Amino acid sequence: MDHSKQTQYSQNEKKDAGASSSVLNGHFDGMAKRPAGGTGRAATAAAAQPPGAESSSHRPAASVMESWREERTRSVEDNEMSLPSLAAAYTTILRGLGEDPQRQGLLKTPWRAATAMQFFTKGYQEKIIDVLNDAIFDEDHDEMVIVKDIDMFSMCEHHLVPIFGRNYHRSYLFWCLETACFMFVRLSTVQERLTKQIAVAITEALQPTGVGVVIEATHMCMVMRGVQKMNSKTVTSTMLGVFREDPKTRDEFLTLIRS
Amino acid sequence: TKTSKACQGLHRSGGYSKARMEYHHVSAKNGVADENQNAEKLSHIEKAYTTILSELGEDVKREGLLRTPLRAAKAMQFLTKGYKETIQDILNDAIFDENHEEMVIVKDIDLFSLCEHHLVPFFGKAHIAYLPNKKVVGLSKLARIVEIYSRRLQVQERLTKQIASAIAEALEPAGVAVVIEAVHMCMVMRGVQKMNASTVTSVMLGSFNDNAETRKEFLALTMQK
Repeated sequence: MDHSKQTQYSQNEKKDAGASSSVLNGHFDGMAKRPAGGTGRAATAAAAQPPGAESSSHRPAASVMESWREERTRSVEDNEMSLPSLAAAYTTILRGLGEDPQRQGLLKTPWRAATAMQFFTKGYQEKIIDVLNDAIFDEDHDEMVIVKDIDMFSMCEHHLVPIFGRNYHRSYLFWCLETACFMFVRLSTVQERLTKQIAVAITEALQPTGVGVVIEATHMCMVMRGVQKMNSKTVTSTMLGVFREDPKTRDEFLTLIRS
Repeated sequence: TKTSKACQGLHRSGGYSKARMEYHHVSAKNGVADENQNAEKLSHIEKAYTTILSELGEDVKREGLLRTPLRAAKAMQFLTKGYKETIQDILNDAIFDENHEEMVIVKDIDLFSLCEHHLVPFFGKAHIAYLPNKKVVGLSKLARIVEIYSRRLQVQERLTKQIASAIAEALEPAGVAVVIEAVHMCMVMRGVQKMNASTVTSVMLGSFNDNAETRKEFLALTMQK
């Protein structure tokens, strides 16, 4: 079971999931035939495994799609050590913009900006397993579960300017979802990839019958600069499993999140 | 009149020039930087961003991040372009003699600025009013004044004051009022993380300061949703 799951996920790398969707859905179809209680047991079993067992050498190391599953590149100690060079970089930026880093309002700004940036990207320090492991429960529940209007803040990786918006999740098993979203959104990322990462993470952790994720966000890089369109929003969505196949289920989800 | 003397008092004490000299910015002393200096500064900022990305634990060679330092540097320069602009440039032609002494309000001016403490955006709306003293200004100039001062590293209190002082000095009106309501990302995305808190600052000069009725009228006309 494990091996086949891994091969299927490595095919999920393509952004256009057309080719792999059947594979993924085939995977979900297999799960749907099990009784509800059985899915619960499988989920806890899968989540209890360390991340090393999940990621395999089959996946190419350069794949950004999979990068969230590997060991994170930062630790709390790293944060402390990189603070001086981050602060120095910010001082350079202030000088380059023509400001005087010695004036009262700016004296400690490099340090504040460096800590703020580390906070905005603290998803790099966290792993899904840490965030999820304790909070998956067996429930005999097979109706839709929606968590909506989750405020999220991220950084656009092209301009390093904030993105903020709302997030709607859905899963077929009762579970605590908000912490997972919280972790991902700290990564500096593009919105399409973010939506997909969240959906895949939930899929892998819970093996639900379906997952839908919709993100509606405002990109400050479009509002504050460039085209400067104040009211534009970007909406991306990922539908997996039953949500992709059954239009009525998808409709119900989309109606409930719009209300 | 008493009210225009109040405004002149502001000018005599160098209120406007004081606001500009509160910080020593390179452009204020040397004028607009030339092309070579600009390119050199851009590459310094770009290198700094590369350092920042790698120190945050990212892989600077991956496709999505390859040109990010350059884009981020240019974005930062755009967001602080107000340093290079002066009031004289934008206002000089657009002040007209009109026999008008009633309140002129321009409200809901979208405003984007950078908090100078965290280098994180804050944004919101500005509402501006003035009581002309035989001189009116082109309406979009008020919005341009907001742009000049907001595209800088700012503190909301200082921003409000600079806008008010600039209008007072340029037009010598009987009164100026500026209200800014903004949301600070440094409070929303980090720190206390209060999603719905907004900050309101205001500066009232001349009649708006002395005359409670005038102030009330301004606030009623701008703050009604």
